[in-house]
Amino acid sequence: MRFDSIQQLSAWLADTDIAVLELSGPGVSLRLHQGDALGTIEAQGAAPPATPVRPQGLTVRAPSVGVFLAAHPLHSSPLASPGARLRAGEPIGLMQVGALLLPVHAPQDAIVRAVRAAPGTPVGFGTPLFELDPL
Amino acid sequence: MIEIMSASALATVQDLGRCDALRWGVGTAGAMDPLALAAGNILLGNDAGAAAIEVPVFPFQVRFTQDGVFALTGADCAARLDDAPLLPWWAGQARAGQVLSLGLPRGGAWAASRAYLCLAGGVDVPQVLGSRSTQLRGAFGGFEGRALRQGDVLRAAVSGSPAARPTGFGLVPPALALPLQRDGVPAMRVLPAAEYSHYTEASRAAFWAAEWKITAQSDRYGYRLAGPVLEARTTVEMRSHGIVPGVIQVPSGGQPIVQMRDAQPSGGYPKLGTVIEADLWRLGQAPIGSRVRFIETTWEQATAALDETDAWLAEARRLVELARHQRARS
Repeated sequence: MRFDSIQQLSAWLADTDIAVLELSGPGVSLRLHQGDALGTIEAQGAAPPATPVRPQGLTVRAPSVGVFLAAHPLHSSPLASPGARLRAGEPIGLMQVGALLLPVHAPQDAIVRAVRAAPGTPVGFGTPLFELDPL
Repeated sequence: MIEIMSASALATVQDLGRCDALRWGVGTAGAMDPLALAAGNILLGNDAGAAAIEVPVFPFQVRFTQDGVFALTGADCAARLDDAPLLPWWAGQARAGQVLSLGLPRGGAWAASRAYLCLAGGVDVPQVLGSRSTQLRGAFGGFEGRALRQGDVLRAAVSGSPAARPTGFGLVPPALALPLQRDGVPAMRVLPAAEYSHYTEASRAAFWAAEWKITAQSDRYGYRLAGPVLEARTTVEMRSHGIVPGVIQVPSGGQPIVQMRDAQPSGGYPKLGTVIEADLWRLGQAPIGSRVRFIETTWEQATAALDETDAWLAEARRLVELARHQRARS
């Protein structure tokens, strides 16, 4: 991320009621607090490990802002119900942004423990959608 | 490149149609669901009018002979790439040797009958009289002027690495975004045509009130409908005159025929009405044996409906371009 984009983001943030802005991307995460002099930027030297050690499960979060759909709008059965066995990369949910549908992928082979977001509701970036038990 | 594996006939190469050749007596041809064709092309970043394969008979299989991207729209056919299920109205990529299979259309939230397979840059066939659509009657255009056969090999107009064209996203079918039903039955808006007033009041009322069954004698040339018998007050005899897809003719038996994309460009039967251009895709997708209804409309409403579908396409293109841009960067 370029430093001038951070300044631009800070300027935009100052004009809003938003308290905290968090951005994360490959190798970097940025956290800006409204009213604080301190912003933090963390550069991660290496990409995070593909299989984070989380014995209690794996949370799949919304990859974008949109309306969370558990099933394709033409279908009635959800892409991934609790108990379903998933293969890495398969679509387990959808984010609808207007006419556009973006997939939510299974990050690894896993079993669905729970669906965390209510289908058909708008969710923000990073909202937990699924809890998975990695295989 | 793809190779057709199915023996089933009737799949054809179609674009948005040969719309400037009516003056030479050449029918328009073109996709029966132009909205699905345009949406599939948008998913790949093609021109909305690029040529695709229209599939009306299932199952249907093609094999990719080299890596390539594709989009599938239209009827939801429980498609698979080798063993992996594909979402409907989706852009994906295939590696050389993979087989794309379309099964029977599923009912679900939208009963449709034709699927569209779009390729990068469109299906590469020569343009004839301004279009790549197959003109079956004249046996020109499309792929060698005929329906596709087992063993035919078709090329995408743009080759190269699939990485250059991001995929892995889809569109909500416009049947859900722009629904039109009357009493739970798919409906199409109709403009009364020149001979409308020749029909008895009871027949005109029955035309709007009835459910019309799409008979087995329905195809790309025309849809023969079954319902109440429509009676003219006087016998209407006319010389042949120009007609276009959407025109509803009533032969002497009193059962209407809706001209579809392969209709001949002239006819002499009296015309009761015309399915508006913006709703022809709804009829083009209505399966044989299903029922439809007609809603009386006006010229202003008909053009507004066309603006509405154009706006849906423009919004779909804007959102897909954003998704493509985002994927190309990440």
